[in-house]
Amino acid sequence: MSALRGGPGPDPRRRALLFALAMAPAWRWAEGGVVYPEVRPRPLVFPRDHGAHPDYRIEWWYLTGWLDAEPRPLGFQITFFRTRTPIDPENPSRFAAHQLIIAHAAIADPERGALLKDERVARAGFGLAGASEADTEVWLDRWSFRRSGDGGYACAIPARGFDLRFTARPTQPLLLQGTDGFSRKGPEIEQASYYYSQPQLAVEAELTREGKTLRAPGRAWLDHEWSSTLLDPAAAGWDWIGMNLDDGSALTAFQIRRRESGPPIYAYASLRGPDSPQVHTFAPPEVDFEPLARWTSPRTRAVYPVAQSIRVGDRVFETQPLFEDQELDSRGSAGAIYWEGASRLSEGGRLAGRGYLEMTGYAAPMRL
Amino acid sequence: MLSILGLTRRFGARAILHDLALDLGAGEYVAVVGESGAGKSTLLNLIAGLDVPDGGQIRIDGTDIAALDEDARTRLRRTRVGFVFQAFHILPHLNLAQNVELPLVLLGTPPSERTVRVRELLTAVGLGDREASLPRELSGGELQRVAVARALVHRPALVLADEPTGNLDPDTADRVLALLARAIKARGAAGVLVTHSEHAAATADRVLRLDHGRLVPA
Amino acid sequence: MRWLLAHLIGGYSRQHPLRALVAVVAIAIGVALGYAVHLINTSALAEFASAVRSVTGQADASVVGPREGFGEGVLAVVGRDPAVELASPVLEVEAALVEPERLRGRTLPVQGIDLFRAARLTPSLIGEPLVEDGEDGRFALLDDGLYLAPAVLAELGLAVGDTIGVQVGAQVERLRIAGSLPGASAGDHLASMDIGFAQWRFDRLGQLSRIDLQLTPGADPRRIAAAWPLPAGVALQTAGEASTRVSNLSRAYRVNLNVLALVALFTGAFLVYSLQSQAVAARRTQLAFLRVIGTTRGEVERLLVIEAAAFGLAGALLGILAGLGVAAAALRLLGGDLGSGFFTGVQPALVFQLGPALGFFALGVAAATVGGWMPARDAARSLPALALKAGSGLDHDASRSPAWPGLALLAAAGALLLLPPIREIPLGAYLAIALLLVAAVLLKPRVAPWLFVPLRRWLAARTLPARAAPWWLATTRLAATPRFAAIGAAGIVASFALMVAMATMVASFRASVDQWLEQVLPAQVYVRANPTTSASGLGGSTAYLTAEDRRVLAAHPQVDRVELTRSLKVSVDPARAAVSLIARPIDRADPAGVLPLTGSALAWQEGQPPPAWVSEAIVELYGASVGDEIALPIAGRAEPFLVAGVWRDYARQFGAIAIDVADYERLSGERTRTEAALWLTPDASAPQVIRELQGQLETRTAELAETGEIRAISLRIFDRSFAVTYVLELAAIVIGLVGIAATFSAQAIVRTRELGMLRHLGVTRGQILGLLAIEGLLVTALAIVIGLVTGLAVAWILIEIVNPQSFHWTMDFRLPVGLVLGLIAALLAAAAATAVVAGRRAVSGEAVLAVREDW
Repeated sequence: MSALRGGPGPDPRRRALLFALAMAPAWRWAEGGVVYPEVRPRPLVFPRDHGAHPDYRIEWWYLTGWLDAEPRPLGFQITFFRTRTPIDPENPSRFAAHQLIIAHAAIADPERGALLKDERVARAGFGLAGASEADTEVWLDRWSFRRSGDGGYACAIPARGFDLRFTARPTQPLLLQGTDGFSRKGPEIEQASYYYSQPQLAVEAELTREGKTLRAPGRAWLDHEWSSTLLDPAAAGWDWIGMNLDDGSALTAFQIRRRESGPPIYAYASLRGPDSPQVHTFAPPEVDFEPLARWTSPRTRAVYPVAQSIRVGDRVFETQPLFEDQELDSRGSAGAIYWEGASRLSEGGRLAGRGYLEMTGYAAPMRL
Repeated sequence: MLSILGLTRRFGARAILHDLALDLGAGEYVAVVGESGAGKSTLLNLIAGLDVPDGGQIRIDGTDIAALDEDARTRLRRTRVGFVFQAFHILPHLNLAQNVELPLVLLGTPPSERTVRVRELLTAVGLGDREASLPRELSGGELQRVAVARALVHRPALVLADEPTGNLDPDTADRVLALLARAIKARGAAGVLVTHSEHAAATADRVLRLDHGRLVPA
Repeated sequence: MRWLLAHLIGGYSRQHPLRALVAVVAIAIGVALGYAVHLINTSALAEFASAVRSVTGQADASVVGPREGFGEGVLAVVGRDPAVELASPVLEVEAALVEPERLRGRTLPVQGIDLFRAARLTPSLIGEPLVEDGEDGRFALLDDGLYLAPAVLAELGLAVGDTIGVQVGAQVERLRIAGSLPGASAGDHLASMDIGFAQWRFDRLGQLSRIDLQLTPGADPRRIAAAWPLPAGVALQTAGEASTRVSNLSRAYRVNLNVLALVALFTGAFLVYSLQSQAVAARRTQLAFLRVIGTTRGEVERLLVIEAAAFGLAGALLGILAGLGVAAAALRLLGGDLGSGFFTGVQPALVFQLGPALGFFALGVAAATVGGWMPARDAARSLPALALKAGSGLDHDASRSPAWPGLALLAAAGALLLLPPIREIPLGAYLAIALLLVAAVLLKPRVAPWLFVPLRRWLAARTLPARAAPWWLATTRLAATPRFAAIGAAGIVASFALMVAMATMVASFRASVDQWLEQVLPAQVYVRANPTTSASGLGGSTAYLTAEDRRVLAAHPQVDRVELTRSLKVSVDPARAAVSLIARPIDRADPAGVLPLTGSALAWQEGQPPPAWVSEAIVELYGASVGDEIALPIAGRAEPFLVAGVWRDYARQFGAIAIDVADYERLSGERTRTEAALWLTPDASAPQVIRELQGQLETRTAELAETGEIRAISLRIFDRSFAVTYVLELAAIVIGLVGIAATFSAQAIVRTRELGMLRHLGVTRGQILGLLAIEGLLVTALAIVIGLVTGLAVAWILIEIVNPQSFHWTMDFRLPVGLVLGLIAALLAAAAATAVVAGRRAVSGEAVLAVREDW
């Protein structure tokens, strides 16, 4: 069974059903000559599942956080993507771009009012870029993100315009999203991903910009997710929040928005209290995203609801961006334009936590 | 030697020579005087065969040269006529002996005979010991003497002299004129001296004036 | 005063415009030819270099290896070096096209690149895929597909979406043209592909051609590379070295051609010398007059030099413009290759740089000035009194020409021959040749009497018929005035000497090449798997003879014996061009049986490293000599070999090393073969055997050729390479002839009085013309004799010094007697005719009569 540190999870009958489905021959999703395995519910095994899953089409390790810097806090976001390309899998060349590693890094400094960012892309191989299957270890030239034996993470991003290095230590157990890590993304059963989070990471960071180095502690949130198909064809994109609440809780919520107007295709949220390992998950009718403020990108003319009111069950939270222009144009690497903003969380008018709000598919419908 | 009858030469509408007549026998030395432009050069050119008359006859040793073609006239000139020019025209790259033997070369005379005659003529003009000298070593008068030797070396029937002393000082001129007269007489040739100097003309036996296209006694 | 001087000097030109025109045109031709050749070569080189640059982009340095590629493992080390900011791996393949049929035999250089790495360094190689609506084209560039630059698509007549077939070993791989290269410049001939697929489709798994690098600022490439475990034959080459290598490849050829093109200008200088001498002589009375009224020697000399310089100025300007026109036309009509074979396939645009234009302009002015300087000096030094006397001025040689300047130049020329080459350009030898020619012209007046005085004596002692009088006149004049004889045909000495020299060198070369071909191609039929690739030596070829092919060749009933060869290009020094390594069956005891050895071979003994026989070029370029040990990069390792002999090789200018194929197989473990030589049975017919085999061979790009055909083609290529030199030589001869015409024309006018006097004495018109013709003939004969001797000396220099130093090969001396005799006859006839035509004016009636007028 699973070596999870989580609790009993959903009721046993449902679990059995899901595992039964896993045994059945899964029909595969194919592109070109490549066949991508489907996401079926299965127990997540660690540390193996900290590592990469090269057969699946897309995977990411996505870390967002806040640094308590003087005089103003900073937001930071590091994402390492791994994608399996549809090129002919028969190609034996070591250079064949079967796997691509893409990395984004962005620093949100309210004083600048815009993101300081960099992106890289390379094909995996020759030790120059790759993702280990044994544990979380992903690198691209000199950018790296690695999980060490004691469970802590180390990250080094010598980017253009800044140099960020930090360690992140888990202060809480791993959080399996969805049903034991099987996270649905749409009404169809195959629209799903494997998804777990590490919220409330204690960060010690060193950021060098323009020759000046600052050291600051902070709080971060890591998502590791992998899948072959995530999005319904009718989807435009998603809105997602990962919030470290001040009381030690961890809040995740997302909705998959429709291209045409109408209710979201899917929505989900999870909330875990500071002491209890129990994860409360919420299904579509219980999760609601309502825009509070909008911002238009001067570059892409996309209109983002940069502040949102999010109802999770019977609690209502509000997000407030650190600043408005936190749009990322990653067409050079990941091929997408999205808004990834450090945001504060408040509940009932009082500050409740900090984290990130991510919104995709506003400039153009997302394709994954 | 030289017999001219009814010679006429026109340039355009103007008749330079008109019904001119002249008779010269061997040993006869005549001077022709006249103003510039009177036609002295023209007369000389016609006698030499360098020009063709519009009318009349020119006989040298009986042959009417006016009836000959250019090459024939040239060949006749080669054998029958000797020339002395005002500007010497001694070839500076040839020594005196070579300059004097030039007419003999043109006639195909064997080298041995050439040597003998050249020596004879150079001695006659007083330059016998300067056979191997180069023209630039000589004075104007000496050069004209070489020219005289050259004019006579091939024993021409007729010697034509065109202002031979024009470039010489008076003393030298007299000596050259005397030499010329002597040399012509000694070889039994007929001579025509063209000059505008009365003084030079006096060295000849007869003096004729070219007047309105005719020769009249001066 | 100055106005008066200028008027007197310039008036002559107004009176005799032909002379001025001839001088200007001669200089113009010389400058135009030199400049045009330079422009063509420079434009071709620039195009070539930019083509190479567009392939390597903005890399600071590259790790380069042999044409066959090197192991890709190196990338892991290089890419992780902290001094390396970016490492872009490239696999360059020379794809042999077989489909569509009309493209068979052509090659396409394909760059296999990693899109993400190459985007920063060589953006022109990034393709743009043609994506259908609704298709996901994001990964197209990582997938199978060829991307061609618009220029290549146009040249090959292909469109995006077409499929081409490429010979890879025994297979034909079909590649789809997936898009174009929008970033390529108009002239770029680029094709790219994903490196992963390039390795796979072209059967080059595990290999790289080079790694382009961007280094951290201030990094020292040498020190960095020293820490890398690069296999033998793989080295770091900086961007500077890469462009130097391109330039070095063709430098010897370009410089030699430039020097050759200057021959015409050189001759032009001699022409100006002749003309100015004439003009000075004709005006000596005026010049003396100037001196008498107070002009100093220096001023007279300066004036005359300025006059000559003015011709040079006008001529050079004309020449630059003409050169631009000729170069533009030649580039459009002939492309950039002037016969060297380095620049075929290049369609360069004219590259105009102010520097060379000014340089050639200055050369033209200098040539004219130098040519006019000596006569000016003589004019200044002559005594006014003497000059004021009547006469034509050339009649007496005021001072005997001193011999010491000419002899001094000869000595200097000899000393220069001892100089070693500077960067493979035999500058010493070229200068020696120039000095030799000048010395020949200077010594001509001293030599003239040796010819004319005996001639005169002989004639003077004979009884000549009256008709033959002109001979007497001509010889007495020429014997007495050697300067006159010398000046008239100075241009001919130079141009004829150079013509003889070039003709001799080419004849010797051709004979040597012919003989060499005989030695090197003993079999009747030759089979070659790779089509010829470009001379730059970049990229590995994709075709070789398969085992099945080899069996087919051996099994043919009329094939008596088959000898298989493996040839490849290896890099011994990254700054130098690649060296050819030829592995074939060589008997160690008797290498002369297969190689045209020069000198003796070392007898190989057990225990010594395996023997290698090197070509003459290797000896010159790398200093290797018999008995030395040499390390050859084979299969990534530096294997020691012993230099056992030197052989003559005309085919590979940058060096070739032959080793026994058994040794190669043992060291590399490789059994592929690229060429085969077939000996046929006595009753066999080569064309028929070729026809039969062609159809049976698997390798579709294989070429079979009969030896006779190969030799004929080789000699044709040889002749074509020298075609340009023939054109340049002809130009020089024409200038020389024009020189004769101009000088004789000027002389005839000046000699009017003398000739008129002769007419008075009874020389016919025909005899006058005969005199002029004889003088022309004799003067030219003298020039030809001197030119012949000088030409043979120059030929010796070219064969024994210039060619070995520039191109690293030797040849046997052979004089093309028939050609030279023909040239002599033609020149004599032309000279006589020219002299007559030029002198006709002097025999006119008015001229005759003018003798007796006052001067």
